[in-house]
Amino acid sequence: MGETVHTDVVCPFCGLGCDDITLKVDGTKVTAAEGVCGRAAALFRRSGAPAPSPRVGGRDVSFDEAVAEAAKRLSGARSIAYAGLATDVDGVRAVLKLAGKTGGSVDHYASEGMFRNLASSQRKGWVATTFAEVRNRADLFVVVGPDPLKSYHRLYDRVTPAKGRFLKGPRRVVFLGGEPTKESLSQLEGSIVDVIKVAEGGLVDALSQLATLVADGTPPKAAPELVELAAALKAASYGVLAWSAASLDDEGDLVIERAVSVIDTLNVTTRAAGLPLSGKDNLTGAYHASLWNHGFPLRLGFRDGVSDHDQKAYATENAVKTADLVVWTSAFRPERPPASGAAVIAIAHPDTTFEREPDVFIPVGQPGLDHQGLAFRADSVVGLPLRRHRDAGLKSVAEIVTLISEARA
Amino acid sequence: MSAVRITNGKVLDPANGEAGVVRDVVIDDGRVVAASAFQGAAETIDARGGVVMAGAIDIHSHIAGGKSNITRLLMIEEQRANREPAGDFCGCGGGVSTMTAHATGCRYAEMGYTAVFEPAMVAANARHMHAEMKDIPFLDTGGYVVLGNDDFLLDLISSGAGQQAVNDYVAWQLAATKAMAVKIVNPGGINAFKFNQRKMDLDEANPHYEITPRAILTTLMRAVKELGLAHPIHLHGCNLGVPGNEDTTLATIAATEGLPLHMTHVQFHSYGTEGDRKFSSGAAKIAEAINTNPNISIDVGQVMFGQTVTASADFMSQHRNRGIASPKRWIGMDMELDAACGIVPFVYKDKSFVNALQWAIGLELFLLVEDPWRIFLTTDHPNGAPFTTYPHLIRLLMDKDFRDEQFAKLPKAVRKHSMVGELKREYTLEEIAIVTRAAPAKILGLTDRGHLGAGAVGDVVVYRDEANREEMFSRADYVLKNGQVIVKDGEVVSLAYGRTHQVAPDYDKGIEARLDRWFDETLGFKAKTYKIADDEIRDGQGAVIHATERSA
Repeated sequence: MGETVHTDVVCPFCGLGCDDITLKVDGTKVTAAEGVCGRAAALFRRSGAPAPSPRVGGRDVSFDEAVAEAAKRLSGARSIAYAGLATDVDGVRAVLKLAGKTGGSVDHYASEGMFRNLASSQRKGWVATTFAEVRNRADLFVVVGPDPLKSYHRLYDRVTPAKGRFLKGPRRVVFLGGEPTKESLSQLEGSIVDVIKVAEGGLVDALSQLATLVADGTPPKAAPELVELAAALKAASYGVLAWSAASLDDEGDLVIERAVSVIDTLNVTTRAAGLPLSGKDNLTGAYHASLWNHGFPLRLGFRDGVSDHDQKAYATENAVKTADLVVWTSAFRPERPPASGAAVIAIAHPDTTFEREPDVFIPVGQPGLDHQGLAFRADSVVGLPLRRHRDAGLKSVAEIVTLISEARA
Repeated sequence: MSAVRITNGKVLDPANGEAGVVRDVVIDDGRVVAASAFQGAAETIDARGGVVMAGAIDIHSHIAGGKSNITRLLMIEEQRANREPAGDFCGCGGGVSTMTAHATGCRYAEMGYTAVFEPAMVAANARHMHAEMKDIPFLDTGGYVVLGNDDFLLDLISSGAGQQAVNDYVAWQLAATKAMAVKIVNPGGINAFKFNQRKMDLDEANPHYEITPRAILTTLMRAVKELGLAHPIHLHGCNLGVPGNEDTTLATIAATEGLPLHMTHVQFHSYGTEGDRKFSSGAAKIAEAINTNPNISIDVGQVMFGQTVTASADFMSQHRNRGIASPKRWIGMDMELDAACGIVPFVYKDKSFVNALQWAIGLELFLLVEDPWRIFLTTDHPNGAPFTTYPHLIRLLMDKDFRDEQFAKLPKAVRKHSMVGELKREYTLEEIAIVTRAAPAKILGLTDRGHLGAGAVGDVVVYRDEANREEMFSRADYVLKNGQVIVKDGEVVSLAYGRTHQVAPDYDKGIEARLDRWFDETLGFKAKTYKIADDEIRDGQGAVIHATERSA
């Protein structure tokens, strides 16, 4: 067949939206060439072995039989949890439509961090920014909490390179309560990097102190590093506080609330913004499509064709406790469905290994490899066009879910 | 598709000079055909006692995109309180001041609207906006790409790259974002706010680029003119909401020097500083300037009392307004060296001097601007009020007694400062057909919409001719989309989708090398990723590309 080289491929996985990936495709075999991060290379790689057959109860069946069985299971279910939702916007649309018909809850598997962010943004609001603004304006970039690099492998290369259009000198990057990895320091070469250590469990308190300091208050026992940071933020042209909500601990809500307050105060006299990072496997696209179609940011519940929203009850971890059927959609990576006592329909990545064999398994194509589609970058604004780069005979989530929905009738 | 013959209705088709002629309207294969020449079988709709008009067109309503999603997020109580189930033809959803995509299409269709344009498509967010507009049923849509605060353009202008380079860039952006027109929001001001400037007058220089809003406006007006776009620059001017901004608005009109300009939500730009409260109506002066400058058209951005949410690319203004948020929450965002947005929930109160005067200023503009072909009926949805208040607004314009009753309810101080009570004008049905159909089609260059002549699209509405114009325009008897009945007796009865309107003027491809470099080095991703492909618009089905004088 011969190898073809696909350049400038858009990467859909972590949400940074890198679009300089080179894929070598030979039949259905895929390797990612240089320039790509290790995580993306592994996720794009395909051995070229044929995709597994659809299965019902562990037995290989035809695609049509699997669809018919899935439809039958949906009709017989009492309480359905639609989980995973790791798919392109068309896939999300299809799942939302089906859920509207069958009833049940809908959530994305990586939404936990997003809801920590919403605890602030939805109740009080915030000032946020996007990657290109940070690249070019942020003369002071503060990483709040753990270094997000483990989730966003090329974060500093992409978002805070040494040069920026409006920077008057080297960029300063401060790690507040987190330790930069070696790789982070290498990506940050050319910037001034400082680390402000925070005792374990002390991040909320540190951010509270910072909030008081930027508001010209004098908190008792303020660490001198925080006093200096507050002054630097006030003097900065465009200070940015960044955090990955998913890697903050249980007090993440409060950390974010304080960070938002720091930004709010700074904007009275200078410019500042937040860069909340959350968005792997098109979480951001699922959030957007859920909002524009139903008015709610995921964690939807459908009953009698009416959608409702409850951040606790309709979270996957709670919904699966009462569900008798889980419909798991995961098209970007071989992520396992949550453990539960419910029956499982898995519309899943072909390489998925299951702890317990699902009742129905249908292998699905990856958006941006097996079919085209739309995903969103983790900063919420920019949509990513995903293209098809091979033909392995794998259908999309949207196609499979629509066929199941039609077979129900 | 079978043909439909609408009989016995009074046809109001100002574009073709018909004001209440009783004649048949026949739609065959999705288009209006000459009734006399049509011989085939047709389903008949008896419109006796009714008025027949083309589908209405809204040239300015914020219906999609990132900022609409932020409004939904912030107005969660309203979403919870206004739920509707999925029906045979409707997806579920809801909302009032901010609606889900499906509800937006349903509410517009029930009122007889079949085309609505999103006037603030931030280029960096265009892909999102198109994806969302695809999910709005019943409506033809299109977006106006927001330019005038993008660093690439400001750099082009300030570095003296010349008009031709600007023209090429504007055409490139129109093609890349699949846009219908060019919008400017607070020219240079959103950009200046990123450099911490808090206010921007027409002749004030940007702190970084040292160019003025006037320079940005006139350069882009010229670009749009030279590219041959039907729709002139769609301008949200400087100093929105600032008392005394009537001077800015008058200076802006003077700055056009005869070039066409559409000024949007002018109500928010017609404020004086007279009186004890240093807030007064500038409507008379502004209307006079519009009446004497035929190159100017406006839409009003009427305010109605009640809860809504204001959503704007004008983060400079919205940051100023954050203190009046109700409920107390607001979101601002800087975006991609391109634009920004600010979302502030707000309640317009009839007991508030300022809000009540805003209401009156809007009506004064409607009643004092003489030429109905140059004024458009908008509430700047959802900023002044939800679009569902249009029937009420139409009644205010058509029914002086009703208007006076409403005016009498306002605080005395407001009545003293407004001439609404003295204005005798009542809009005729023909004028309503102009401001909601014929004129919007004309100003957007939609030659087959907004009228009922042979060849027009089969978007046709039948209203019952009721004395209460609010009831009449709230629920159409029939709405046809491309000849298909989508609304009967004010209820949606079948599902249909519209198309996406775009322009694509030709340009010198030499600009692409410069843009490739800009994207690679400055924005940090590739221009080819940014550009929206044809097959991304409604899955490659349903784009309408309008000819321009310099069509590709």
